[in-house]
Amino acid sequence: MTLAISPACGRSDTKTGAIAGQEPRRGGQLVVSARTEPRTFNRLVSREATTDFVASLMQARLVRINQVTDEVEPWLAESWTRADSGLEYTLTLRPNVTFSDGHPLTADDVVFSLAAAYAVPISADSLEIDGRKLAMAAVDPLTVRLTMPVRYAPGLRILNNLWVLPRHRLEAAFKGGTLAAAWTLAAPPSEIAGLGPFVLSAYSAGQRLVFARNPHYWRKDGKGVQLPYLDQLVLEIVPEENTQLLRLTSGASDSTISEVPAEAYATIKRAADEGRLRLYDLGVGLDPDAFWLNLKPGAFAGDARAGWLQRDELRRAISMAVDRQLFADTVFLGAGLPVFGPETPANKKWYSPDAPQTPHDPAAARALLQSIGLTDADGDGVLEDAKTRSPARFTVITQKGRPSLERGVSVIRDELKKIGLGVDVVALEGGAVIEKIMSGRYDAVYFHPYLSDTDPAGSPDFWLSSGSLHFWNIGQKTPATEWEKRIDELMARQMQSLDEAERKRLFDEVQKIFAEHQPAIYFVAPRVFAAASTRMINVTPAVQRPQLLWSPDSVAVAP
Amino acid sequence: MLAYFARRLAFALFLVFAVSSAALVLARLAPGDFAAQSVGLDGRTETMAEARARYGLNRSIGEQYGVWIAHAARLDFGQSLLFDRPVADLIPERAANTAILAFTALLFATLVGLPLGVVSGSRPGGLLTGTIRAASLVLLSMPPLLTSLFLVFAAARTGWLPVGGMTSTTSTSAGDLLRHLVVPAAALALPLAALFERLQSQAMSGVIGQPYILATRARGIPRSRVIWRDALKGALGPVSSVYGLVIGTLLSGSFAVETITAWPGLGQLMLDALRARDVYLVAGCAAAGSVFLAVGTLLSDTALALVDPRQKEQIEVRG
Repeated sequence: MTLAISPACGRSDTKTGAIAGQEPRRGGQLVVSARTEPRTFNRLVSREATTDFVASLMQARLVRINQVTDEVEPWLAESWTRADSGLEYTLTLRPNVTFSDGHPLTADDVVFSLAAAYAVPISADSLEIDGRKLAMAAVDPLTVRLTMPVRYAPGLRILNNLWVLPRHRLEAAFKGGTLAAAWTLAAPPSEIAGLGPFVLSAYSAGQRLVFARNPHYWRKDGKGVQLPYLDQLVLEIVPEENTQLLRLTSGASDSTISEVPAEAYATIKRAADEGRLRLYDLGVGLDPDAFWLNLKPGAFAGDARAGWLQRDELRRAISMAVDRQLFADTVFLGAGLPVFGPETPANKKWYSPDAPQTPHDPAAARALLQSIGLTDADGDGVLEDAKTRSPARFTVITQKGRPSLERGVSVIRDELKKIGLGVDVVALEGGAVIEKIMSGRYDAVYFHPYLSDTDPAGSPDFWLSSGSLHFWNIGQKTPATEWEKRIDELMARQMQSLDEAERKRLFDEVQKIFAEHQPAIYFVAPRVFAAASTRMINVTPAVQRPQLLWSPDSVAVAP
Repeated sequence: MLAYFARRLAFALFLVFAVSSAALVLARLAPGDFAAQSVGLDGRTETMAEARARYGLNRSIGEQYGVWIAHAARLDFGQSLLFDRPVADLIPERAANTAILAFTALLFATLVGLPLGVVSGSRPGGLLTGTIRAASLVLLSMPPLLTSLFLVFAAARTGWLPVGGMTSTTSTSAGDLLRHLVVPAAALALPLAALFERLQSQAMSGVIGQPYILATRARGIPRSRVIWRDALKGALGPVSSVYGLVIGTLLSGSFAVETITAWPGLGQLMLDALRARDVYLVAGCAAAGSVFLAVGTLLSDTALALVDPRQKEQIEVRG
């Protein structure tokens, strides 16, 4: 659902946030803020959110995933065909497209861009299928042939990860092996060329980046008006969240590149009611926080808790013990929806409402724990292992400084205490949490893992037992359990089938198996809100970041 | 005297070496590293290993430290992992921003705190002295975090001043910079002014009863002249002894004030570096901070020698 809660004056279009009588026009400046600086102007070496946003202003892709419809749409490639084998695609580039420095775009730039992406491991990962690379060749100056290593159901969605770069600017660095060191923040703006709607005109370290209209941008609106509408877009760096929101409510900035945090909702809502801001309710989010126990075989060898810490019954009991509505009310101040798996209703195409849901039932949870030998023998309210007499206690690691995680883990601890499970919470920096997960040295984790794509075939690292994002037991050589083996089989078919109905049926079954075994437990998906000044118009809000600015060439300011 | 300053310089070099080394080693020892943060949870094991190798994080701490110290001796403090730029380039540009803020705050705190301290110290009792003392105590007990938040909030509500940042997009004038300076400089200066006021007030109360002051008064010299010339000079010792340290601390940057007011200074850079586990930038920022602290201590001793001849004699005897 997308709903613009607009100020009293004017009628709002719930899809675009445009106010009646306010047609987008060229001109004006928009000021938006981010909490961190970009790390580089070279998107190949960093996937961090601000760096990605900056790339979306200055660069473009062959195809784009429309964040509202979730469909692939033509971008630099105006059309394509797929061979019967399902392995080969022929893409036709738009004619007369030039980079921001006036150099024409050709198929050679596209082929170069793929080679460049493979030269830098961080960007290479997202362009491989089953660990194998795509192959690309220029057929003529405006035609590219793409060959997939295997049949891949999401097809050209994978090209959403490919930024088309100027060969004439970067080829020397590529050949010299210094591509990763190109376009750092010290690079003069004139050195950077792209196919995006804006060009960098100034960078002031720690303060702001100023982007001016790309005079060579290729896109026009439905009425033939040259895009982007804005003359200038300023990205301010405001590290502190409260200051960022104060700037927004006071009119010093027009929007942010991320959602409104739950704790700021009331303030922003008040400003929207007073007509100073427009608040967008974008519905439930895509990626809920996850709780999981370490399921790596042998992780608890020699530990007195080994007999119960990796049992299915324990995970089911935990899922039953936590009151998801209480969780939503406490952690997200009521703006959340109970969920039971990694897919939420926001993923309209792939979410399965028929997957099993765990009821809140502490009594049943206690019974499950008793069935695996956890009982309160001494009557002190804390369960003990009937065999070893050791208390039923474990440590949950979470990320420091993220309110939703810190509040969430407190609710989990309190709810589990009610059924006799002891939980110790350790909050660490994000990098330390990731290191613990990857090393497999932990009891349990409560964290925020992002799936790579809404299409499940685009997130094989999560679903497949061999995957690096299969975080409860990373990178298995062979599936550790029968149900993981079954999911591997279903996903392998799901990723290759070109029949969409069959893919849906297969993924529904995957979600069902996942919900039965709950290797990761999901409690609540937050509702997502975004805010902007009332002068910011022609917005197409989406649930994913940057919610209001994912299509920056179309955003305009009211005259 | 020369030997004294040579000894202080040697100590300063040792301080910079020790602090930056400790910062690098501690940043490296802390759980998590830059590679884990930049690659993320969904990164493949091979990608993570490649990133660690690229950033030099696959080396042992000893080996990494050895390479770093060898380069640092040639004033090459390495490449920031976070910004992919030389640390030696990043620090001066941020230190300059911090210096603007620090000296403005210091000027404000001195011009406000010292005179108020003289007033409250020379007039024990009374409404004015009570009010000054109470205001100082309130400001001293407010953490800079709260003061900054309050001032930013006030700026947003009134619209009189910019809500964070150092300059406007469209202006590079000195007036624009001054407008942006008000909030962060006030956040730093208010507690500092209160500290100066308290120190100066106590020193003044001690000096005001000294025989040389009473004798000067007995010669018929006006009270205000005695207080603002003779007593003030005699009571500058405590403030002078902390002045250099205050300069050093201010120049090292304030995490809280710079972050909340979005002032792009050294404190904010250090915080970014710590969060990202950018070991070279952490070490560089710590080195810069210790340089400022060493210079501040030296300034402090020099200032004390200037206002108190007994200190100068001691330095000369020791030197």
